[in-house]
Amino acid sequence: MSTCIYLGALARLAASITLISSGAVRAITRLADPVMKLRFDRGTILLGEPPSGVNLATAPGVLWDRRVRAFRAPAGKYAALKHWLRAAGVQFADIASRPRSVADTWSSIDLRPYQEAALSAWELAQHRGVVALPTGSGKTRLALAAMRRTQLSALCLVPTRVLLDQWSRELAAVYRGPIGCYGDGVRRLAAVTVATFEAAYRHMHELGGHFDLLVVDEVHHFGGGLRDESLEMAIADSRLGLTATPPRDGRAVTRLGELVGPTVFELAVADLAGGFLASFDAMTLYLDLSSEERTAYTNQSAIFTAVFATFRREAPGASWADFSKHAAGSAAGRRALAAWREMRRLLSFTASKRRALRSLLGRHRDSRVLVFTADNDTAYAIAREYLVMPLTCDIGRQERDDVLQRFRRGDLRTLVSARVLNEGLDVPDADIAIVVGGALGEREHVQRIGRLLRPSEGKRAIAYELVTRNTVEVGQARRRSRGLVTRSSPQL
Amino acid sequence: MLPDHLLNCRAAGSAVVPHFLAEHDHFWLRSLLEEYERFVGRPHRELTARLRQPLPCEAPPEKLKLAVEALLRAQRSGRTSAPVPPRRARAMVFAEAAHTTETSLAVLSRVAKTLGVTVGELRDSLFADLPGERLVEAPSRPVSAVELALRTNLALVQRLLFRVKALRVDVEGHTRPLVRHAKWRGLICTVVDRAGQGGASLEISGPFALFRHTRLYGRALGELIPLLAWCSRFRLDADCVVDGRRRTLQLATGDPIFPATAPRQYDSRIEEQCARQFRRAAPEWDVVREPEPIAVDGTLIFPDLGLQSRSDPGRRWLLEVVGFWTPDYVSRNLALYRKALVGNLILCIDEARNCSDGDLPPGARIVRFRRRVAPAAVLRAIGQVTQHIPG
Repeated sequence: MSTCIYLGALARLAASITLISSGAVRAITRLADPVMKLRFDRGTILLGEPPSGVNLATAPGVLWDRRVRAFRAPAGKYAALKHWLRAAGVQFADIASRPRSVADTWSSIDLRPYQEAALSAWELAQHRGVVALPTGSGKTRLALAAMRRTQLSALCLVPTRVLLDQWSRELAAVYRGPIGCYGDGVRRLAAVTVATFEAAYRHMHELGGHFDLLVVDEVHHFGGGLRDESLEMAIADSRLGLTATPPRDGRAVTRLGELVGPTVFELAVADLAGGFLASFDAMTLYLDLSSEERTAYTNQSAIFTAVFATFRREAPGASWADFSKHAAGSAAGRRALAAWREMRRLLSFTASKRRALRSLLGRHRDSRVLVFTADNDTAYAIAREYLVMPLTCDIGRQERDDVLQRFRRGDLRTLVSARVLNEGLDVPDADIAIVVGGALGEREHVQRIGRLLRPSEGKRAIAYELVTRNTVEVGQARRRSRGLVTRSSPQL
Repeated sequence: MLPDHLLNCRAAGSAVVPHFLAEHDHFWLRSLLEEYERFVGRPHRELTARLRQPLPCEAPPEKLKLAVEALLRAQRSGRTSAPVPPRRARAMVFAEAAHTTETSLAVLSRVAKTLGVTVGELRDSLFADLPGERLVEAPSRPVSAVELALRTNLALVQRLLFRVKALRVDVEGHTRPLVRHAKWRGLICTVVDRAGQGGASLEISGPFALFRHTRLYGRALGELIPLLAWCSRFRLDADCVVDGRRRTLQLATGDPIFPATAPRQYDSRIEEQCARQFRRAAPEWDVVREPEPIAVDGTLIFPDLGLQSRSDPGRRWLLEVVGFWTPDYVSRNLALYRKALVGNLILCIDEARNCSDGDLPPGARIVRFRRRVAPAAVLRAIGQVTQHIPG
């Protein structure tokens, strides 16, 4: 308010000097307008008391909100908006500054050369962008180093509650200040806070105004429209996305570029295997269906293919999601979808896969083995048949932690899982992966294989894939193995 | 929230019309509830498998799927019953199996012996806490076919509204709980001028909805639907996206939707006490709970009580109790009252609020109170001016 009074007096004084040019008077009079106030309002920026003579509708993201009779912009445009206002010479009272983390609350964080390079690339990109590194290569550590170096108030978004715990623990190891937490029933705000995607989506209207740095783990979950608002409702200008599998689809790449920034650094499993990651052999075992299974599969396949082939002819570029939507609209389409589900069920745990799995578990009974399935039902079937511990979404948090601890100690040697082990979870030092089935393609496969790659002296891991001949699994296996080889994002 | 494929509705021009469950559906809903009861005490997977099959009586398949989903979602997750606590069974069996080359049966037999149960009981215990293995529980209170129909309809409407970014509601009576809930959920409530018609016309949307079609507020908007059932009249319009096309959903008074629990009658104990004591002290006056709201500056203010003379319909006063409010709220509300220029307003102000005369709306009758509003003081305020308000 004192700025206002001062500027008003200045304008009056200027107007009283007769020699002063009329242009200057206009300029000073504009200065005398009440100072515009920027206010964070539930994921947006409200521009209160705008000055006369400035067309705010041309500012980045700004629209007139007739509901509250004020100009409003998405919070994600905060930095661009401030830049625009400064360039236009508009005086404004900023949102209250966010508390920063303090230098001496951080321990030093040693980085490997490729992590250092990735961090430099992100810094050169003005603290905006995605770093793509394989599972097990230390993405979290890289993020911690970014937080330490910038000392900005930081919000780390993670996809699951398991990762919420894991990030909080890793932060606590290098950061002595209070650590906030949003998710798993906790709502605690601090200058450094970890939140699940779900909690961020629900609470970004209150969280979004508190942070200057946004770290997004497994950032490939964004860019497809679902929950993108979480990132649009935060004022943080510095943004770091982490992933092992950056999106390749053009639309998602562009959108992620807007929300977080472009891919600024990328390495694949093949770039680090044998050095910073363990070497591994990928072995595909081709298996047959029994005659009964083949008959059942062929029957279902005929029902599915008749509808799917017609659809592909009519809509050559359409996605699977388009097909599902289209098929749900007709009886024949619904039968085709049911046939597809039945085909998947038939292939999930065939008699040959049963035999192969028994043999592999016997051969590697002294190793630490992870078995991956396409669905929970198969995971439980394997757990019952071979007495191996399942790790699924139905297993509670305490028991899950206990199981991982026992796996780490060697009290348990084999775990079977459909999805829980796919992403992020810090699974200790496994040597063998047996992929009985998968549902999510290349991304899932890269994440699963990443579970084997924690390096140790003389380690050579093995990843087995059980693939049924002359079925859809052959193409799926070929497609998913692409993610393991070196491939750079087009932005690099 | 119901999955998309269960949206049971039809397009009629630019509108989307939900297929509500009505009285003629009650007979098969009763049959569905009987089937549910038959499975109480049995694993959930058996119930869900049974409910995928046809009922003993004829039921429209789409409506049946919807009702089954609504029924299952409304029930508790079931109880676990196992001879050995499942977590303990898992811990022992899988640890034992990890260090032996014996067959699964040999491992199970040894662990079962240690625990003093049979192999079958141990097998049953192993995953007895999984969602599908938990035992179906009887509902905490009986559910009737009528209630199930209304709950199913509510779930259907809320699913339709899930992707909506704004609601338009014309409403009469019990507007306050609606506006209060909308604000509590971070929504913006705008009053649209209805040119002299009764009630209020509201547009409700979230702040971010200005920028694009977002699902952010769908759930919060859906929560308003059961509150509408308490309004004496309402009509709702919402633009939904159904099958990739934008269509309008309309709801109105009498649509068969499950109601929310009855809204609170009074905002505070002071207000309730004030109404009760005034009725007793001044039987010649009717005390009206939630009189019509006052539209000002694009929003609504809700006086707490209306005082209506029985002998002279022209004598009508609005009473607002300024009690346990935050200073911000007091100043915001008083500013609105000042703008509204209400001629027949009585403001009862808690002395602890420290409101100076300059803060108060011009022309309002002021009653200052400590702890309770005295009816005599209100009557005195009314006695100062006898105002005739038309209509």
